[in-house]
Amino acid sequence: MGKILFQLKDVKKVLFILTLLTVLQGIAIILQARWLAEAVTRLFEGEALQRIYSVVSLFLIAFIMRHLVKLIMTKVTDRYAAQTAASLKKDAVAKLFALGPHYAAKWGTGNLVTLLIDGTKQFRLYLELFIPKLTAMLIVAPLVLISVWTLDVTSAIILSLTLPILIGFLILLGLAAKKKADKQWSTHRVLSNHFVDSLRGLETLKYLGLSEKHAASIKEVSEKYRKSTMSTLRVAFLSSFALDFFTMLGIAAVAVFLGLRLVEGEISLMPALMILILSPEFFLPVRELGNDYHATLDGQEAGRRLLDMIQTPDFKEENGTIPHWSDKDLLTIQHLSVDHGNERKALQNISFSVKGKQKIGIIGESGSGKSTLIDILGGFLEGSEGTIEINGQELTHLKHEEWQKQLFYIPQDPHLFHDSLANNIRFYNHNASLEEVGRAAEAAGLRKVIDQLPNGLNEKIGEGGREISGGQAQRIALARAFLEDRSILLLDEPTAQLDVETEYDIKKKILPLLEDKLVFMATHRLHWMMEMDLILMLEKGKLVEVGTHEELMSRRGSYYQMVCLQMEGVS
Amino acid sequence: MEKKGWILPYLKENAKLFSLVILLGLVTAFSAAFLMFTSGFLISKAATKPENLLLIYVPIVAVRTFGILRAVSRYSEKLLGHHIILKVLSHMRSRLYETIEPRILKEGASIKTGDLLGVMAEDIEYLQDVYVKTIFPSVIGIFLYAVAIGLLGAFSWVFAGLMAIYGAILVFLFPLVSLLVTRKNVAKLKSRRSSQYSTLTDGVVGIGDWVFSGHQKTFIENVEKEDDEIYKEERRRSTFVSYRNFAAQCIVAIIVLSMLVWTGNQSMNGQVSHTLIAAFVLIVFPLTEAFLPLSDAVSELPGYEDSINRLKGLSLEQPDGEKDDEKNVWKNSHLCLDKVSYQTKEGQWILKDINLNIPEGTKLAILGPSGSGKTTLLKLMKGIYSPSEGSVSIKGRETARSKGDKQLLSVLNQQPYLFDTSVLNNIRLGKPSASDEEVYEAAKSVQLHDFIVALPEGYQTSMQEAGMRFSGGERQRIALARILIQETDVVLLDEPTVGLDPRTEQALLSTIFQVLEKKTVVWVTHHLVGMKRMDHIAFMEEGEIVMEGKHEELLMSSDRYRRLYELDTPFQLKNSHVKEKMIG
Repeated sequence: MGKILFQLKDVKKVLFILTLLTVLQGIAIILQARWLAEAVTRLFEGEALQRIYSVVSLFLIAFIMRHLVKLIMTKVTDRYAAQTAASLKKDAVAKLFALGPHYAAKWGTGNLVTLLIDGTKQFRLYLELFIPKLTAMLIVAPLVLISVWTLDVTSAIILSLTLPILIGFLILLGLAAKKKADKQWSTHRVLSNHFVDSLRGLETLKYLGLSEKHAASIKEVSEKYRKSTMSTLRVAFLSSFALDFFTMLGIAAVAVFLGLRLVEGEISLMPALMILILSPEFFLPVRELGNDYHATLDGQEAGRRLLDMIQTPDFKEENGTIPHWSDKDLLTIQHLSVDHGNERKALQNISFSVKGKQKIGIIGESGSGKSTLIDILGGFLEGSEGTIEINGQELTHLKHEEWQKQLFYIPQDPHLFHDSLANNIRFYNHNASLEEVGRAAEAAGLRKVIDQLPNGLNEKIGEGGREISGGQAQRIALARAFLEDRSILLLDEPTAQLDVETEYDIKKKILPLLEDKLVFMATHRLHWMMEMDLILMLEKGKLVEVGTHEELMSRRGSYYQMVCLQMEGVS
Repeated sequence: MEKKGWILPYLKENAKLFSLVILLGLVTAFSAAFLMFTSGFLISKAATKPENLLLIYVPIVAVRTFGILRAVSRYSEKLLGHHIILKVLSHMRSRLYETIEPRILKEGASIKTGDLLGVMAEDIEYLQDVYVKTIFPSVIGIFLYAVAIGLLGAFSWVFAGLMAIYGAILVFLFPLVSLLVTRKNVAKLKSRRSSQYSTLTDGVVGIGDWVFSGHQKTFIENVEKEDDEIYKEERRRSTFVSYRNFAAQCIVAIIVLSMLVWTGNQSMNGQVSHTLIAAFVLIVFPLTEAFLPLSDAVSELPGYEDSINRLKGLSLEQPDGEKDDEKNVWKNSHLCLDKVSYQTKEGQWILKDINLNIPEGTKLAILGPSGSGKTTLLKLMKGIYSPSEGSVSIKGRETARSKGDKQLLSVLNQQPYLFDTSVLNNIRLGKPSASDEEVYEAAKSVQLHDFIVALPEGYQTSMQEAGMRFSGGERQRIALARILIQETDVVLLDEPTVGLDPRTEQALLSTIFQVLEKKTVVWVTHHLVGMKRMDHIAFMEEGEIVMEGKHEELLMSSDRYRRLYELDTPFQLKNSHVKEKMIG
C-alpha cells in the first residue's frame, strides 16, 4: 500500500521518530488503562477516596502523556507532509518548464493545475493520515495485545481472532462494493454528469426549443441517480458496518467472557477492567485506517502521478553554442521526423535549410505538421530522428537557452497574464518604462483600446480581469514583440481566428515587425505568402514543396491546388 | 413561490426524515456508550460473584445487544442520511435549473458562460456536505449532550449540573471559539488558494512566454512564496486544532476524575451501588468521543459561504423585465424585419433601424466585424430578444415559443454543445419523437453516417469518448444533423465555421448549403468565403447596415468590400485556372 512512501526524501528519519513516539504513546495507553482500572477497583472494594489519590494522579499523568505525545506526533507529521508535498510540487513545476508547452498541451491545462494544487494537497493529506496510522497499527495494536495477553490469554485470543475476521470482511466487502461500483460506473457517470452537462448545454437546449421540457428530464435523471447511488452505497457502507459490527462484537465478547470467568473466580476485577478499557484501543488504529481509506487512496494516486511527472525524461543536455543570429548564419534541418506514437508520424523526413534573415512561410492544412514544425523550431519538441545543424554544428533539439533567448513566439491565441495591461506588454522586458510601453502599444494599434479602458494601461486583464477580444490579445502580443526586439520570430496562425477586417488591420502592424529578422510563420491564410521569401508546403507530415510563391504557382503542384481550392470558395 | 434559502427550506420539508436520521445517530452514540456502561457493570457485578447467574445474564444480553445495535443503527443512519441528501440534491437541481432556464441568453443575465453554470452545479453537490459533515453531527451531539445530562440528573441534579458545565465546554464553547478563530483563516486561505489557481494557470498556459522571456525562475519563486504563505496560514489553523484537541482531552480527564470522585463518594454513602463505579467511569469515553468532532464540524461552516452566496445571488436577481415574448407576432409568409432597433437596459443602442425582407428560400449573409450587432440581430430573429422598436415577423404565425408546439427557426452556432450521451441521442435531440431511421437519414445527408457506423459502437458511441475522436468539422456536422431533423423552414447560422481550416470549412459549407437548399438561411460570418453563393449580403457596422447587395454589386460599388475580399483572395488567378480545377 505504501510503496510510494519509500521513494520520499527523509521518510526513514520521520518514520523512526514516529516509531519512537508511537511506542511512547502505546505505553501511555497501557499505563492509563492500568491505573484507571486500579482506581476503579479500589473504589469498588470500598477504599476511601483519599487513599487512591496517588493512583488517580498516575492515571492523569499517563492520560495527559498520551495526548501530549499525540500532539507532538501530529506536529511532526504535519510538518513533514507539508515539506515533502511542497518540494514535490516545486520539482513538478520545474519539470513542467523543462518539458515545455508541448507536454502541457498534451496533459491539458486543467489537469495539470488540478494535479499541482489539488494533487499535492491530497498527497499531503495522505501523508498526514497514513504515516501515523500505519505506525499506530504496527505498534500500538501489538503492544496492547501483548499486555492483554499477560493479563488474560482468553481475551487476547478473542481479540486476535476478531482482527483478521474484521480485516477479512473489510477487504471482502470492499471488493464487492468496488465490483458493484465498477459495474454501474458508466451509467453512474452519465447520471451524475447529466446535470452539469445540461447546464453547460443550456444555450443549445434553448436554441433547440427544448429547455423548458428538459426540466422534467432533470428530475427524472436525478431520481435515477439517487437510486443507482443508493444501491451502490448499500454495499459500500457494508464494509464500515463490518468494521463496527466486529469491533463491537469483539468488545462485547471480551466483556461477556470476562464476566463469566469473574463469577468463577478465575480472574480478578482489576485485570478484567484493564482489559475492558484496552479492547477499544486495540481496534482503534484499524478503524481509523478504514475510515480514511478513500482519502489515502486518492492521495497515493496523486503522489504517484506527481512522481511520474517528475521522473519524465526531458530534453537531452546539449552543449554547443548558438550565435546571435546574423545574415551569415545557417540553419539546416536534415531528415527530421517526429513521432507522437500515432499511426502516422507528425513529421516525416523533413530537410531544408535557411541562411540569414529570411522570411519563411509554413503552409499546409490542419494535421499537415505545421504546428509540430513550429514546436521543433521553438525548442518545445525533440525530433525522433534526424538532426538540426546551426553553422554545421549538430544538435538534436533547439531547447537551448541561447536559441530561445533570441526568439519571439506569437501563437494563435496569446496568453494574457492576470496582471495590468502595461505589465502584460512588458512581460519580456520588466524594466521598460511606461513611455516605452506606450510606444510599443501605439505601434501595435492599441491606442484606441487603451483610451477606452477606465484605468488605461493599468487596467487589470487576464483571467478575472477585463475581457479582451482575440484581436486585442493579438495586438498585446505584438506590443510585447515591439518592446522586446529579438532577431528570430515564430508566428503560429497569428490571424486565423480574427474577422477579416481586424486581420487586415493587424497585418499592417505585423509587417514592419518582420523586417530584418529570421521569421517562421505557420498559417493557412494565403495572403501572407506574398510577403515570404520562401514557402515550405507541408502535406500529411511531409515537406512536399519548397520555393517562392511564384515558383510554386508555376509548378502547379500541391501549393497551386491549395490556392485554387481556397480561391474557389471565395470567388 | 421562490424559496428563500438553500438549506433551511429543505430541513423543514424533510423534517420527519431528518429527525429519523438524528434519532438513529443518537441510538448509535448511545449504543456505543451503553456497551461500555453495561460492560463495566457486567464485570463489576460478576466480581461480586453472585450466586444467581441470572443476575449477570441481563447485562450479558444487554452488552451483546448494544454491540450489534450500534453497528446496525450506524449503517441505517448513514444510508438514510444519504437517501435524504440525494433527495434534497434532486430538488435543488430542479430548482436551480428552473431558476436559470428562463434567464439564459437574455440580455443582462449575469449567467453567461457554461463554465459558471458548471460551478453552480458543483456548488449544489458541495452543499451535500453541509448536512453530512456539519448539520447531522452537530444536532446529534447536542441531543446526546442533553439526554446524557438528563439521565445523570436522575441520580444527582447537582452533579449533573457540574457535568453539564464541563460538557458545555466541549459541545458549545470549543465549537464557538473554533468558528471565531478559523473564520478569518478560512476566508484568507480561500482567497490565497484561488489566487494560486490563477497563478498556476498563468504558468501553464503561458509556459512558452515564461520560457522565452527567461523568467521561469521568477515564476517558480512566486509559486514557492505563495505556497509558503498558504502553509503558514494552514499551520496556524492546524496548530490551533491540535492544541484545542489537547485541551479537549484535558477536559475529558477532568470529567473522568470528577466521575471517579463522585461515584466513589456516592458508593461510600451507599447512594449508588459500587457495581456502577466502573460503568459510570467507562461511559465517559465513548460519550466525549462523540462530542469532540463538533468543533471541526462547525469550523467547516465558513467554507460553504461562497457556494450559498452564489446560489442566493441567483435567486435575488430579478428575471429581466423583457417585454412579453408572446406578443411577438409573426405576420408574413417570410422573414421580415421592419424598422427594428434594439436598446440594452443601460440605454445603449445595439441595433438601429434595421430593415430586411427575406423571402422564403433566400440565402442571406450578414457580414461585419465583431461587436457590430450581428449576434443580437440573430437573437431577435430567434425571438430570444424582443425589438425595442419595429417588428420581426415570420410566416404570419404566432411565435413557436409561446405555444411550444413547433420551432420555426433553428440555429447552428459557433460551438454547438454536444451532450454527454450517445451520438444517436445527440442528433435525436432536434426532434425527440424521431425514429432511428430518421436519425440515420439526417446523418446520411450531413455525410456522417458511414463514419458513425464505422465506430466500434456505432450510433451508441458516447459523445464523451467520441469527443476525442470527432474533429471540429465533424462536431458541426452532428449539430447540423440535429437541426435538419428539426425540420424548420428557417435556419440561422452563427459563424459555424470559425476555427476550422479552409478545406474543412469548404467541405462543411458545401454540405450546409446542399442540405439547406430549400430553406431560408441567414448566415452570420466575418469571412468572405462563400459569398458568391448568397442571394443577398448585408454588411453591418455599429448596429447599422452600411451596405447591402449581391456579391458582384458590392465588389463593384465598395472599395472597402473589395479590400477585404482581396485579403481572402490574395491572388488574381486567371479564370481558366479556376475553371480547370473545378472541372477536374
